[in-house]
Amino acid sequence: MENFIIQFLNGLVFSMLLFIMAGGLSIIFGQMNVINLSHGAFYLLGGYVGLTMVRQMGNFWLALLIAPLLVAILAVVIEHFLLRRLYGAHRHLEQVLLTFGLALIFSDLIQWNWGAYVQSVPPPELLSGHVPVFGLDFPIYRLSLIVFGVVLAAVLWLILERTRIGAIVRAGVSDAQLVSGLGINIHLVFAGVFAVGTALAALAGVIGAPVTTLYPGLDFEILILTVVVVVVGGLGTLKGAFAGALVIGMADTLGKAYISEFSLFLIFAVMAIILLLRPSGLFGLEGIGT
Amino acid sequence: MNQKKSGVSRRDFLKLAGGTAAAMLAAPSLSACQALGGGTSGPITIGLLLPYSDIYAVLGESITDAITMYFDEIGNEAGGREVQFIQEDTEIAPDVAQQKAIKLVEQDEVDLVAGIVSSGVLMNLRDYFHDNQKLLIVANAGANPISRDLKSPYIWRTSFTNWMAPYSMGGWAAENVGTSAAISVPDYAAGENNITGFTQSFEEAGGEVILVQRTPFPNMGDPAPFMAELADSGADLVYSFYSGGAAVTFVQAYSDFGLHGQLPLLAAGFMVEEDVLPAQGEAALGVRSTLHWSYLLDTPENNEFKQAFRERYERDADVFAVQGYDTGRVIAEMLDAVEGDTSDVQAMIDVLPDISFASPRGPFSLDANSQAPRQNEYLREVQMVEGELHNVVIENFGEIVDPGDNSQG
Repeated sequence: MENFIIQFLNGLVFSMLLFIMAGGLSIIFGQMNVINLSHGAFYLLGGYVGLTMVRQMGNFWLALLIAPLLVAILAVVIEHFLLRRLYGAHRHLEQVLLTFGLALIFSDLIQWNWGAYVQSVPPPELLSGHVPVFGLDFPIYRLSLIVFGVVLAAVLWLILERTRIGAIVRAGVSDAQLVSGLGINIHLVFAGVFAVGTALAALAGVIGAPVTTLYPGLDFEILILTVVVVVVGGLGTLKGAFAGALVIGMADTLGKAYISEFSLFLIFAVMAIILLLRPSGLFGLEGIGT
Repeated sequence: MNQKKSGVSRRDFLKLAGGTAAAMLAAPSLSACQALGGGTSGPITIGLLLPYSDIYAVLGESITDAITMYFDEIGNEAGGREVQFIQEDTEIAPDVAQQKAIKLVEQDEVDLVAGIVSSGVLMNLRDYFHDNQKLLIVANAGANPISRDLKSPYIWRTSFTNWMAPYSMGGWAAENVGTSAAISVPDYAAGENNITGFTQSFEEAGGEVILVQRTPFPNMGDPAPFMAELADSGADLVYSFYSGGAAVTFVQAYSDFGLHGQLPLLAAGFMVEEDVLPAQGEAALGVRSTLHWSYLLDTPENNEFKQAFRERYERDADVFAVQGYDTGRVIAEMLDAVEGDTSDVQAMIDVLPDISFASPRGPFSLDANSQAPRQNEYLREVQMVEGELHNVVIENFGEIVDPGDNSQG
């Protein structure tokens, strides 16, 4: 039982990291109807930019703020010059080709700039150290990730569901033309959504770096897990991303803890079973993208 | 680096002269070569089959840099012929590596191939090189079977076998650290080799392995779930074998969860090699490992090598660079011995067991039985040396040779 509680905590930590990633991917799909396979690259880019800032300025918190901001600016540029041409319900294939191409390019550029060595980012001073949990020293930084994930989920949900901006964004995906007709600059809305979604990936990169470290190939490793989370949770909803992250985070952690030889298989088995029972995921939007 | 091949060997000439349509197409380059003076002249091309992307990219770069450095030192010439390289990226994917091997051998018609980092890739390529009777010099991958039941006369190693480090560690650990062990390794060929190697000598010395953890490979992800099991195991020590990104996340999680300093961590040397030590930081302090080299080995050969590598590439050498450097030397001495005639693969193979020299890793020669090196194995401990983390050599276990069969784990 004690061991299970420790593993449950580990599961929550990993779930929250997955949620920040999947939340971004899901917002971009749900609010823009765009499939973004460069999301993993933005995770890694965020992590590396954060690393550079921590090294230059020695301040993790500043990195946490600025790295997502810089990556968001890059996202706006990409949205404006490339992605904008590919909006529309029947253009998913083109979006996949574009964003996957970008992922490959970023992957090479990152290795070119930061090298192929594994890099680690120390957690901030304030959150280093341990608390004892059933005889095991549990790192405070990891526990704080759980709190951060829950707070972030609440904030995102409030913005999307309870504010005017959220209402505009949600209206935009249902009928972009009508929203434009109401005098709202729909291009600005989409650019904003893409920037926020991408910033979340970069944020996850900075936050996750002390846990996952940074190395070439991590971008695609994370992308696959994130896509699984979004598929399990249901494409396009924040609630789905949260539920999917919990399911996959737990399946991964408990699988590793109790049947480690089968843990990779377990994630995909869980995904297959959920899709059999609920083809559009746990909380998927019905009929989106069709 | 990606130079176009322009030489054609005598063997290829004979094959092409057989009169196939392919031969007709190749005729122009063939006559160009003839003008240079026959099948045993013109440049020798060596295919480098290494990972240049993904988690093993650093290993591929180190090996390539060191091979290039060695050949530059000897004027890019061996056996009286110019030497050229063609690089291909294997990633960490056995199927990709297979395609690249075919491309190098059949399209570029290289004289021999060197490289191979991953044991999985090597196992998958074994039959191709064996069936095509093409010489492969392995600069890293340590899969045991290649020196044992799956031995091929065409595959030789300048690196190590996966048996060497864990077998050396097991006996010492039981006598000096504790008699019950937990093992944590990635779930693939090299991990299994580490389990059997360590277990055998550990048990021979009176120890008992009470827990074996096999973790997902190649993507271990977050190792946190494995830490609680290690902490709960009640073992006196942990033996593990990780490299690259997994080595860093594992050692850091080991420290994050308070096991560092509580439960002695022993490892195959790759786990705390120069490529990962800076990222591991103080979490790696005190980790003891066995390997066939250490950055701090104080020999003239090693000091000279380290300095030359540092000056040329502005970074420190690691064990992979040493293996690349020795691979270069083995190939060059082999080509010298056959006077640059690469048409007879058997002649090249025959001279390999006669090669021996003082390597940065210590005395080095190739064992005719296991087709792998005879070399020293060192016990090392991570310490802070003049503000940098390095592996201090605690003991030299002396020469180790793979048994060449499964008699010793």
